[in-house]
Amino acid sequence: MSGLKQEAKSTIPADTIVFPDMVSRQWVENNLELLRERPRRNLYFDCAKTASIDSAGVSFIHMLQSSHRKAGYDVILRNISGELLSTIKKWGKAAHFESEGGQDNRSVFLKAGDKAVETKNYLIDALSMLVEILYWSGPGLLKKRDYRKGVLGEQMFHLGYQAVGIVLLLSFLIGLVIAWQSAIQLRTFGAGVLLAPMVGWGMIREFGPLMTAIILAARTGSATTAEIATMSVGEEIDALQTMGINPVQFVVMPKFWAITITMPALSMLASAIGILAGLFVAVTYLDVSANVFFSELFSFTRFKDFVVGFCKAVVFAWLIIWIGSYYGFTVKGGAEQVGRGTTACVVTTISVIILADAVFSFI
Amino acid sequence: MNTQPIVTISDLTVKYGDKTVLYDVSTNVPRSEIRVILGSSGCGKTTLLKSIIGLIKPYSGTVTLFGTVMGDPDSPETGELLKKIGVLFQNGALLGSLTVAENLALPLQMHTGLSQDIIDEIVQLKLTQVDLPHAGELFPGELSGGMRKRAALARALVLDPPLIFCDEPSAGLDPVTSAGLDELLLKLRDILGITIVVVTHELLSIEKISDSIIFLHKGHVLFDGLFEDARKLESGPIRDFFDRKESREADSESNNTASFTVESK
Repeated sequence: MSGLKQEAKSTIPADTIVFPDMVSRQWVENNLELLRERPRRNLYFDCAKTASIDSAGVSFIHMLQSSHRKAGYDVILRNISGELLSTIKKWGKAAHFESEGGQDNRSVFLKAGDKAVETKNYLIDALSMLVEILYWSGPGLLKKRDYRKGVLGEQMFHLGYQAVGIVLLLSFLIGLVIAWQSAIQLRTFGAGVLLAPMVGWGMIREFGPLMTAIILAARTGSATTAEIATMSVGEEIDALQTMGINPVQFVVMPKFWAITITMPALSMLASAIGILAGLFVAVTYLDVSANVFFSELFSFTRFKDFVVGFCKAVVFAWLIIWIGSYYGFTVKGGAEQVGRGTTACVVTTISVIILADAVFSFI
Repeated sequence: MNTQPIVTISDLTVKYGDKTVLYDVSTNVPRSEIRVILGSSGCGKTTLLKSIIGLIKPYSGTVTLFGTVMGDPDSPETGELLKKIGVLFQNGALLGSLTVAENLALPLQMHTGLSQDIIDEIVQLKLTQVDLPHAGELFPGELSGGMRKRAALARALVLDPPLIFCDEPSAGLDPVTSAGLDELLLKLRDILGITIVVVTHELLSIEKISDSIIFLHKGHVLFDGLFEDARKLESGPIRDFFDRKESREADSESNNTASFTVESK
């Protein structure tokens, strides 16, 4: 028989383990300590009574054999029938390889190196995606236009109009919280009139674009990843390519234009409603009239603040579509990977948006 | 009659990372013929198909369709080539957010200047050809597996391409639906003169529709010729495939990998 060694019969130790009629899962459960022990000697099993073995038994023998051989010892099966040996060899093959391949015994430096290369590849893929989006938003339009009629309107409706309610509600609440907390402090110093520029500046430059971006990252970013990933898994992206339709232009670009148009508008709405929340606090808590509130607001707010708010909204919009598309196109596998990709997209997008906001603060 | 092959594959090698999946594959597909790519699971059939239609970039070698070498997917030349082919994917790959009619209309809207009413007429004609005249307003998710395949075939045919590729058309279908799809492919060849490349491992299907076969084994072309000639082979992986037997080579491999120390009775 190929690959088998014959053991001398004279060296049978007294602590030979006798296998039962069937080496079953239950037997393995009761003898798990054998796997945990450090191999110190050859391990003998007497298989004379054994007629059958299940998957747990086969895996048990393979794992024992592997650990013992690594330590310079062996597992010896005594009196085993040819049929049983064949079963262990045939059905244990996959488990055997899995247990050997499952452990990563490489040095920490090799692992770190692999991780670095992997991260570099991710970054290259992500930058390629960004370049492709920017290409199809400008020069690529002269080359080909793979759009369906009316798709931009559809996307603006989904991405923009349907988000109006939640953006207004959350921005009003944020405006209210900021105004309230500020009003308490300002009232102490008798500087209630300064609430208007404080809330206005905060909403126009910071919280309007930021809140809108976070809401759209959760709504649009996750939807973009899920849509593209599902299309990718279902070969729809491949189908588009074979129909001569560029998937980025067909799937991503309508969302890109829709979010580029609607995000600044939503951001302005968010700022406006936040300022109205400030007005509400000023009138009810600080006894500042609406006329004074708006006069202070307009005298302190500069055109530059609107420009910064607008630029932030556009940059955040692009980040949402870029990261959403990147995760969508890189998902491989099935439903679970789609879910993971979507989660990763939302987490990454919100982190990158806050990072970008911090960078804007220094500009 | 033009006897030049419609598809010519020369020394095609495809790698996934360090792993070579196809080794120097060379073959061609003559006009108006049904060519079947077969082999056991994991032998590289779908990879070969995806390389031919430009979804996988080969490591080396070339694929020539209608005398033009496939290149960059976004180049105008490749764009023109892609308009001349139709692809039926394994699970249909219809766009889930569009109705069946919108799916069929898509290539016409993108690649032709036809008005919407003519496009609607063509879509209805194609749906009738595949025996789905009333499915236009349904979404792909509302169709059965067989209906989805037929709708996808209708989409593959909507630009009247002279060449279509089918990836496992019978996969997941019952024998009757599968036989119906085979009949449809034969009709397309006989009536419209379409050249068809089919990837499958369904023996009944192969026997019924193939004019010639390419047998792949572990990324190599083991046989390229008539199905009847392949059937006459008496040994080797092709014989095992037809006899639905596990490859002997694989068996002996398994015997050699696991060795145990035993004491005989």
